[in-house]
Amino acid sequence: MDRIDSEIVVVGAGPGGYTAAFYAADKGKQVILVDRDQSLGGVCLNRGCIPSKALLHASMLVREAREAGRMGITFADPKIDIAVLRGWKDSVIGKLAGGIATLAQKRGVKVLNGRGYFEGSNLLRVETQEGQQFIKFQTAIVAVGSEPAMPAAFDLGNKRIMTSTEALDIQDIPGDLLIVGGGYIGMELGTVYACLGSRIVMAEALPSILTGADPDLTRSVKKYAEANFKEVRVEAKVIKMATQKNKIKVVMEHGGAVKEELYDRVLVSVGRKPNRQNLGLENTKATVDEKGFIRVDSQLRTNDPSIYAIGDIAGGVLLAHKAAKEAKVAVEVICGEASTMQDVVIPAVVFTDPELAWCGLTETDAKARGINVKCVRFSWAASGRAMTLDRPDGMTKLVLDPATERVLGVGIVGYGAGDLIGEGVLAVEMGATARDVAEVVHPHPTLSETLMETAEAFYGHATHTFVPKRNPEAL
Amino acid sequence: MDVRIPNLAEGISSGTIVSLLVREGDTVKAGQTLLELETEKAVAPIPSPFDGKVEKIEAAVGDAVAVGKRVMVLSGAGSATASEPQATELPKRQVPEPVALSKPARSDAGYRYESPAGVPPPSSPSVRKMAREMGLDLTRVRGTEPGGRITAEDVRSYVAALQGAGPALVKTAGAKVDFSRFGPVKRVPMTSLRKKISEKMLASWQSIPHVTQFADADVTELARLREKYVKAYEKAGVRLTLTGLMLKAIAANLKKHPVFNASLDEEAGEVVYKDYCHIGLAVDTEQGLIVPVIRDAGKKSVLELSLDIATLAEKTRTRKIAIEDLQGGSFTLSNQGGIGGTHFTPIINHPEVAILGLGRASLKTVVKMGKIVKASIMPVSLSYDHRLIDGGSAARFITDLVEAFERFDETFVKLEGTSKTAAKPKPARKKRKS
Repeated sequence: MDRIDSEIVVVGAGPGGYTAAFYAADKGKQVILVDRDQSLGGVCLNRGCIPSKALLHASMLVREAREAGRMGITFADPKIDIAVLRGWKDSVIGKLAGGIATLAQKRGVKVLNGRGYFEGSNLLRVETQEGQQFIKFQTAIVAVGSEPAMPAAFDLGNKRIMTSTEALDIQDIPGDLLIVGGGYIGMELGTVYACLGSRIVMAEALPSILTGADPDLTRSVKKYAEANFKEVRVEAKVIKMATQKNKIKVVMEHGGAVKEELYDRVLVSVGRKPNRQNLGLENTKATVDEKGFIRVDSQLRTNDPSIYAIGDIAGGVLLAHKAAKEAKVAVEVICGEASTMQDVVIPAVVFTDPELAWCGLTETDAKARGINVKCVRFSWAASGRAMTLDRPDGMTKLVLDPATERVLGVGIVGYGAGDLIGEGVLAVEMGATARDVAEVVHPHPTLSETLMETAEAFYGHATHTFVPKRNPEAL
Repeated sequence: MDVRIPNLAEGISSGTIVSLLVREGDTVKAGQTLLELETEKAVAPIPSPFDGKVEKIEAAVGDAVAVGKRVMVLSGAGSATASEPQATELPKRQVPEPVALSKPARSDAGYRYESPAGVPPPSSPSVRKMAREMGLDLTRVRGTEPGGRITAEDVRSYVAALQGAGPALVKTAGAKVDFSRFGPVKRVPMTSLRKKISEKMLASWQSIPHVTQFADADVTELARLREKYVKAYEKAGVRLTLTGLMLKAIAANLKKHPVFNASLDEEAGEVVYKDYCHIGLAVDTEQGLIVPVIRDAGKKSVLELSLDIATLAEKTRTRKIAIEDLQGGSFTLSNQGGIGGTHFTPIINHPEVAILGLGRASLKTVVKMGKIVKASIMPVSLSYDHRLIDGGSAARFITDLVEAFERFDETFVKLEGTSKTAAKPKPARKKRKS
């Protein structure tokens, strides 16, 4: 039996895990990074963010080519070679995963391929292809992530019923695709498959798609979905699925009626569940909550003093950048620094068409909590840059504290919103006021000007829109 | 018309709603208490500004509310003139007040950043980290940038100011203990009163070099005097207590030893002697220690003092005490006789310089004029600020005081001369009975 000693072992090499491993190594720690996949990068890189964004970019080309007719440029209908598209997407993943492996090597981070299992509070067993390896560690960082949830009722063992993992593999372009769940994963993949030519029916159990985001921001996204999907059904409940030859028979309750329909494929995107099975957590003092996420404090400590947990497995919002920030905080805490996740602003981006992004306090949240805020909006129809991009379907919004004019939250819907929200996060983190945002020169002509103009609109003097004078008391 | 949290007193910027005494739809009269607010100093009743009807209640019991926050909407006879002065009490927009490096802003001592949205005070992540590393609570730092944003420079100024002010405000160090590792625990948030007591005690303890002097007083005669006159006082509407009698003696003794009624102005390098003598009376309440102040104790008769004690004690226990009743003390009496115990070492109530602690009197055998006799002996403890008061002065003060207790002048207790002035504060009697 081989046993290695290590200061830090990181279990899981997703964006949380590899960030933690690299940062700890940069801080002079001896680190082992364990992952069950040969390809590093976790779900984000292999089965999540990166492949979906590669496919979304490809589908955007299809859309833009189609819409170029308005500018007098017409193309023939696109021919889509699925194998080449998949190959290109996989090559992106391959390059990035290879990059992570190289970075690990250069830092002296030892990578072990195999499933990690805790034998105790300071002992990890790794099942590698060469056999068992035991790692005696001082501190472990658990970053094993989550996987798509598949309710037992839908799990027929039929490959036509997919989760995001299979959908990102694009085996074929289904004629009729049912997407169960109108959250961000369903919406992003729906956008991809709609562009590739599938007829999409989306079924969401709640009264609205993209629940949680402000309704004024989701409006453009809904409009797109309604125009490009065959149907968007809210308050719809899938009762049963069954295999019927090479189709899936779906029984659904919607609008007071029970429908029975046939689909070529079904994508189930109803949420994600923590990967806590076969981890040996029960051999440590770490505890999990009722949903199976590992309980941590604001410094990512579990109940076991030698074990930290970060990313999806630690619950909260399941986003790669949240995992990466937690990785840094955990490593700093291990190194004795006074870091915490408390009050950290975590932006959310939905890569739909148009993109949707927000950070800090949302208007919906402020209303629910009875917080007095002032919301200012700027329509992209007044943005020169949006017009030249032929994308006036955007809006920028600031959620402000009326007393101090402090920016409490930022919401953006529109082309490239995901890239624009970075400035919003900076403003919220820095405690900037609307005046600060208005005073900063933004380059022309860019979409970033919309942030400045929104802030100016708060003071009633946005250059490219006219705001009627209001009673100052109303502010 | 809106009902907002009014400006209660200097240095009070917020409070916690401890009770809501009306419901939506209730009709209320002008002056009727709408809700009670617990501040750092006391529980203040918030009265209705006029006769009207409660349209909407926008706060709940337990809510922390800042001065100026709207808590209720009333309809009815609210005239514009009634709402004007309220409007002026709206919180001002946070105008940055630059903190000069050399002279720490003393008025900032009670500053607290409050955000209804629950966000931290505006500052960059790097400044927040710097504060965490220093163990500094950023909500206490007033930012100088737009919107009150705290810069690294503000943090440095604040720390410099803290050093100037002495160690009193430095956060208690020490590792956080996870008590649940040793057994089941329950966590209860500190009330604002408890926080205030904790801050005051720590500040007093850390900034004043305390010395405590002990003595025993034979109060046999004093107790006999009380017995003798208690009935007469009852007729006058008040209970005569040993505390009432002793207050009279204490006030006289303070006049004789004015340094015990003084304060130190360290900045000016001066001793502040006071011509008045306001004695604080430590009252033990369910919520914690509250010290209402008896004004001009030296000018009052035993009857007036007894009435004051009864009124203040009642107001304190029913949490109706006004902020002014808690301010301006020049000396404090902590009488634990009613509870038990002997000598103890009371902590001085800064900016006062001395405090008297009295224990429970008990029967002891003593030698008096060569004979062994029974006597009621009361433990007396005097804590004093050794920066201002020397041991000799303290010994003289306590000796004189013991003598004043033991040879209490009966003419002070007699009611003939004072009964006329006693007629005025009669409401005290009514209150005690209710």
